[in-house]
Amino acid sequence: MKLTINNRPFETDAPPDTPLLWLLRDELGLIGTRFGCGVGLCGACTVHLDGVAARSCITPLSTVEGKAVTTIEGLAEGYEGLHPVQQAFIDQQVPQCGYCMSGQIMAIAGLLAEEGAVDEATLAEKVTNLCRCGAYVRIRRAALQAAAEVNS
Amino acid sequence: MSIRAVGSSRSRYGARDKVLGRTRYPGDIDMAGQAWMKVRFAGQPHARIRTLDVSKARAHPGVIAVLTAEDVPCNEYGLIYFDQPVLCGEVVRCEGDQVALVIAESEQAASEGRDLIEVDYEPLPIISSAEAAMRPDAFLLHPERGDSNILAHYKTRYGDAPIEEIFDDCDVIVEGVYRTGMQEHAYLQPEAGLGYIDESTGQIVVNVAGQWMHEDRIQIAHALGMPEAQIRVEYSAIGGAFGGREDMSIQIILALAAWKVGRPVKIIWSRHESIIGHHKRHAYTIRTKWGASWSGRLIAAWAECIQDAGAYAYTSSKVLGNSHLTVTGPYEWEAVHVDSYSVYTNNVPGGAFRGFGGPQGHFAAETQMNKLAERLEMDPVKLRLKNVLRDGSQLPTRATMPPGVSMGPVIEAAARAAKWTRQGNDWQRPATISDAATRGDHATATLRALPGHRRRGVGFAAAFKNVGFSFAAPEENWATIELHGGGEIERVVVKAVGADVGQGAHSVFRQMAAEAVGVPLERVELQAAHTDLVGSSGSASASRMTFMAGNALIGAARLASRRWEDEIRPATATFGYRPRVTTELNYETGESDPNISYGYVAEAVELEVDLDTGQIELLHVLCADDVGRAINPRLVEGQIEGGVVQAAGYALMENLVTEEGRIKTPYFSNYLIPTIYDIPRRTESLILEYPDPFGPFGARGMAEMPFIPLAPAIVAALHDATGIWFDQIPLTPDRLLEAFKRSSVRAFERKA
Ligand code: FES
Ligand code: FES
Repeated sequence: MKLTINNRPFETDAPPDTPLLWLLRDELGLIGTRFGCGVGLCGACTVHLDGVAARSCITPLSTVEGKAVTTIEGLAEGYEGLHPVQQAFIDQQVPQCGYCMSGQIMAIAGLLAEEGAVDEATLAEKVTNLCRCGAYVRIRRAALQAAAEVNS
Repeated sequence: MSIRAVGSSRSRYGARDKVLGRTRYPGDIDMAGQAWMKVRFAGQPHARIRTLDVSKARAHPGVIAVLTAEDVPCNEYGLIYFDQPVLCGEVVRCEGDQVALVIAESEQAASEGRDLIEVDYEPLPIISSAEAAMRPDAFLLHPERGDSNILAHYKTRYGDAPIEEIFDDCDVIVEGVYRTGMQEHAYLQPEAGLGYIDESTGQIVVNVAGQWMHEDRIQIAHALGMPEAQIRVEYSAIGGAFGGREDMSIQIILALAAWKVGRPVKIIWSRHESIIGHHKRHAYTIRTKWGASWSGRLIAAWAECIQDAGAYAYTSSKVLGNSHLTVTGPYEWEAVHVDSYSVYTNNVPGGAFRGFGGPQGHFAAETQMNKLAERLEMDPVKLRLKNVLRDGSQLPTRATMPPGVSMGPVIEAAARAAKWTRQGNDWQRPATISDAATRGDHATATLRALPGHRRRGVGFAAAFKNVGFSFAAPEENWATIELHGGGEIERVVVKAVGADVGQGAHSVFRQMAAEAVGVPLERVELQAAHTDLVGSSGSASASRMTFMAGNALIGAARLASRRWEDEIRPATATFGYRPRVTTELNYETGESDPNISYGYVAEAVELEVDLDTGQIELLHVLCADDVGRAINPRLVEGQIEGGVVQAAGYALMENLVTEEGRIKTPYFSNYLIPTIYDIPRRTESLILEYPDPFGPFGARGMAEMPFIPLAPAIVAALHDATGIWFDQIPLTPDRLLEAFKRSSVRAFERKA
């Protein structure tokens, strides 16, 4: 199967029902995409498929053929330094343990790309990623900061 | 000159790697030639193992080894008592008991092998509640530990006369039966790790995420029957802990497996395995009765606290000590009579979780206080200030409070920030804390009678929490500091291995070391990765790490600086900080000098409740926390914000259901934790800095404190909104609707 991951072609003979998450982690060493539940409930494994946020633990390889997969490691490509969402997460000092962060950032970056503008209500409705450290106040602040920057 | 290191909100150490996805947690590490491991769990709460047949598993393609009880040299472990087998050989006492390990070439083969193990169980009676376990004829879960299932029983007998006589002289009596549920840590990173042999030293190495690497090493060495020096424990980044990684989960089995097969062995638990495989916050039932005078003076308290310890001890007796101490709140008393019991059952074991008994004790105490205020028609802030512990106060343990008691000032600061008004000694509760006008939806005057069957209320609660281990548990913290350079100090190497579980320990270690040595932060390099670097830091728990490590770093910096002045290059010093020794609870009287230091916190909550749906929305949470000195204020605020979210989950939605010893909610689909949707509309952190006389730079511990008063403050606000007292958490919509049905709250609503 031929895949495009972070703008680079990749070929694998993994079974087509393999979840994308484990291909990324085990075959490509892209450990920034995290495992938290494996059933689509926590968001730690969020990546982009053609720019749209998706949970890689419930995404079989067969469904990503021909699509552009972006992981946290590839998010900043094309930006100077960091992606604006990553920069906002540093500016707002969001991470605590950090385990949910890749997923949060990918989810918010995807939402920004899709919707252009976001407000508190959209975030509350659309970003369902879990953060057990409870960094939500800052996740919200960082998302709003990034939204303002992207739209300025 | 650079900014001072202590007191400034420097960027979190490692923040950049975390947003780039580069941080390595234990599951992110692979080694050449590694094998995979899967655990065969008991899957049932209580049974005798008749036969255990692993032959099919051993013969399965890809399986390298299957390990059982016979393979464990000293098959026992436990932080307080060695009451738990590493692998069960005779009896299983809870669902999460581990029976066998399968090590294979791939994770898949290991799973298949695990499923081929045949165990024939003879069911034993299941004890699914502490009350049932306490009956005299109950089946004994640990006969080797005595003739009852009671694991610990603490008493406090304080006062000049029998408690019933003193109650007779009280003007007002307030009673309650309080029930708190189990809580799952749900750290986002499930247990994972790697065990391997370090060929260069011959050591067995375990790379995991825990809270106390030296204790992990003690437990591993004990079970393997090896000297501690033979074992090295390494911590990668830790994906949250909250107390849930204080006990052993995969540490011993990884060491065992690597040793037995002589290859690196990796394991990653699924979420389900994590939820059944590690301990929980204890469920409690607390019956209590308080007596006071009409003038609002607390006189006598009686309580009986029953803690469901689950199948093994873990740190249950220590948690019990803390709830025992806090069930009478941060107040002065004339007489106290408390009995606390920790009881073995076949439920998932209880253990450490942020607050460590404080949330359960204070839930009862602070709700009692709020009920009393209502009965006395006295403002709850005023009532608290009348009775609050201060410098020189005696606890019911007959110990004098350690100096630096700030409970009164903290309560006052919280009340003022939450818009309470004061005239003389009188306090007046505000109609709203949040700025209702700016939300534009409802005018202040109609706050308690909103359209659409919604009600608003305001509530208040306070708490105190020990900093450091209690009741004679040995405290120590080691640090090494090396000063490198010639004429000036160019580089400082700090060795301190306290766990950074996300609270920011490694950030504040660097900041405190920079301050103590007197160099810019950028020159400080931290080494914290494994047990061989330096002595124990103790556990990242009990809100103790900043306090203890800070004192160790200051000590090491002082010694190293002296050597630097003596022209020694590099100037190196190691210092072990040991605070004043505390004492155990006397089993008959409860006398004890329990703790060396406390942190103080108070919270005010405004909420809105929907009478039709039973849904609660937190509009505003104000948390005033005395941290002594905020080494890094932004990290402190992060702990307040996060602690409030976790406590809101505990109070409102997190409902770990067990039935006949089985966890009915072992997934994120049925054990719900807060998302961004569930957080308070506004969380306001008020950092107070009343220095602790023994704290480094005056700092106290703080990471547990914001959790503790939230549940009782919510219950008070809910009472303010509906007129109903809720004595049980979580406050699920079902429970609320049930109570609304039984009460007249809807009738009241129609009149309004
Ligand atoms: S690991 Fe994919 S959603 Fe949790
Ligand atoms: S920062 Fe720890 S889970 Fe989000």
